[in-house]
Amino acid sequence: MVALVIALALFFDFTNGFHDTANAMATPIATGAIKPKSAVTLAAILNLVGAFLSTEVAKTVSGGIIREGSDGIQITPDIIFAGLMGAILWNMITWLKGLPSSSSHALFGGLIGAAVAGIGFHSIKLEGLLQKVILPAIFAPLIAGIVAYICTRLAYALTSRHDPETGSKLTQKRGGFRTGQIFTSSLVALAHGTNDAQKTMGIITLVLIAAGTQDPGSGPEFWVIAACAFAIAIGTYAGGWRIIRTMGAGLTEVKPAQGFAAETSTASAILASSHLGFALSTTQVASGSVIGSGMGRKGTSVRWSMVGKIALGWLFTLPAAGLVGALTALLVKTGTVGVLIAAIAGTAAVLFMFFYSRKSAVGHHNAIEVEEAGQAVKFRKKKGLARARAKARAQEKNLAPESSRTGLGTPDAEAAASADADTSKETQR
Amino acid sequence: MKWLELVTVAGATLVAAVTVVVLYSLGVRLTAIAADSRQASPGVKKSFAYICFGLCGFAVLFGLYLIIPYFSG
Repeated sequence: MVALVIALALFFDFTNGFHDTANAMATPIATGAIKPKSAVTLAAILNLVGAFLSTEVAKTVSGGIIREGSDGIQITPDIIFAGLMGAILWNMITWLKGLPSSSSHALFGGLIGAAVAGIGFHSIKLEGLLQKVILPAIFAPLIAGIVAYICTRLAYALTSRHDPETGSKLTQKRGGFRTGQIFTSSLVALAHGTNDAQKTMGIITLVLIAAGTQDPGSGPEFWVIAACAFAIAIGTYAGGWRIIRTMGAGLTEVKPAQGFAAETSTASAILASSHLGFALSTTQVASGSVIGSGMGRKGTSVRWSMVGKIALGWLFTLPAAGLVGALTALLVKTGTVGVLIAAIAGTAAVLFMFFYSRKSAVGHHNAIEVEEAGQAVKFRKKKGLARARAKARAQEKNLAPESSRTGLGTPDAEAAASADADTSKETQR
Repeated sequence: MKWLELVTVAGATLVAAVTVVVLYSLGVRLTAIAADSRQASPGVKKSFAYICFGLCGFAVLFGLYLIIPYFSG
């Protein structure tokens, strides 16, 4: 069981890495500040370094949502196993749909479901749930969005130049924002490494302590740190290209000044939240920033249908991951056979989603098309691919009920969107 | 409920992001001005631009200081 949980935890770390590459690297890729491959490599290295930098184990796995410790319940490896299962499956589903969603919220959801099914409702701290998950989910995108909106407005106001006599535009050199983007997005990637790899280290250490192979109160062992660091780095390098496409091109088109404003807001919000005591989810902050910066620039439209899908995805994060967690916890309760069934079913589901994704592979070569010389981000017009995805969506409706409402845009909508992009490009010039 | 922390985080985010973006934008604008063909003193504008970028560099360093637990405890 211990080995199984450690393997699962490392795989969660991997999905966490590739789910969150987009937070740091989607906008620099979209503006052409960094080439896609170099961007994920940079993010992977920074995540690796970040994981080694911070090895303080979190005091509680669930961060105060489940009553842990001597006065509450004991978090057993069984519950962690079930919780991880829920989190991983939800991460895979959202990746398949290209939706950015918080990995930590998925983990919370899985753990809550597992604890409710395994122990009962009294194990959940409702106040903790409200404070750690629900309120941040509302305020993270709101704060980041407003800040990014203001910053984008400022960036454009400060750099717009007109000839006083003729009124014609002078050179603005807004491409210079690309250099800045590299630095701000690197900060986001590094911060991600220090925060998220630590969670997995905490889980593995807790399991080891529970199994009696490690002294209570001691820090993570070196192999745990190294394994977590590499898992998250490899995950980041693998790159959740579907999510990168959503964040870099699906919400709005991103131009260098806009991308810089969004990345700066993301970095500031993450650093402020991790040092001033109100934890915000990186993913939600980053999505909010991109939306806010899209609203801040004239001639850009934010695709609200996509925003709606993402919001719906966030709404489902807790219940969906919780449901899988609860089912797994019930299976695990039946004994070794149940654990085996759960493990095999989980692996099968992950493999199925992986091979399913192969049908319409999104990789560094086609995630976002960037015009190298120009400023514009173009959208792919591969109708065939869009049609294949539409068909895939229709099939998936039977599998996951919530996905029917979170499906990606129709081919028509995509064509309209690219037409949109073209017109706004013209107004920009 | 931690409303005070929420407001602090929002405020700090706003101040930090606006400061960096304003500095960097000024830097970009000054670079653009210095690149104009009819420009009396491009050197001065260029150096001001570099000062702006340098200050942004300090902001990045401060971010590193916050991220790395070895420094900030």
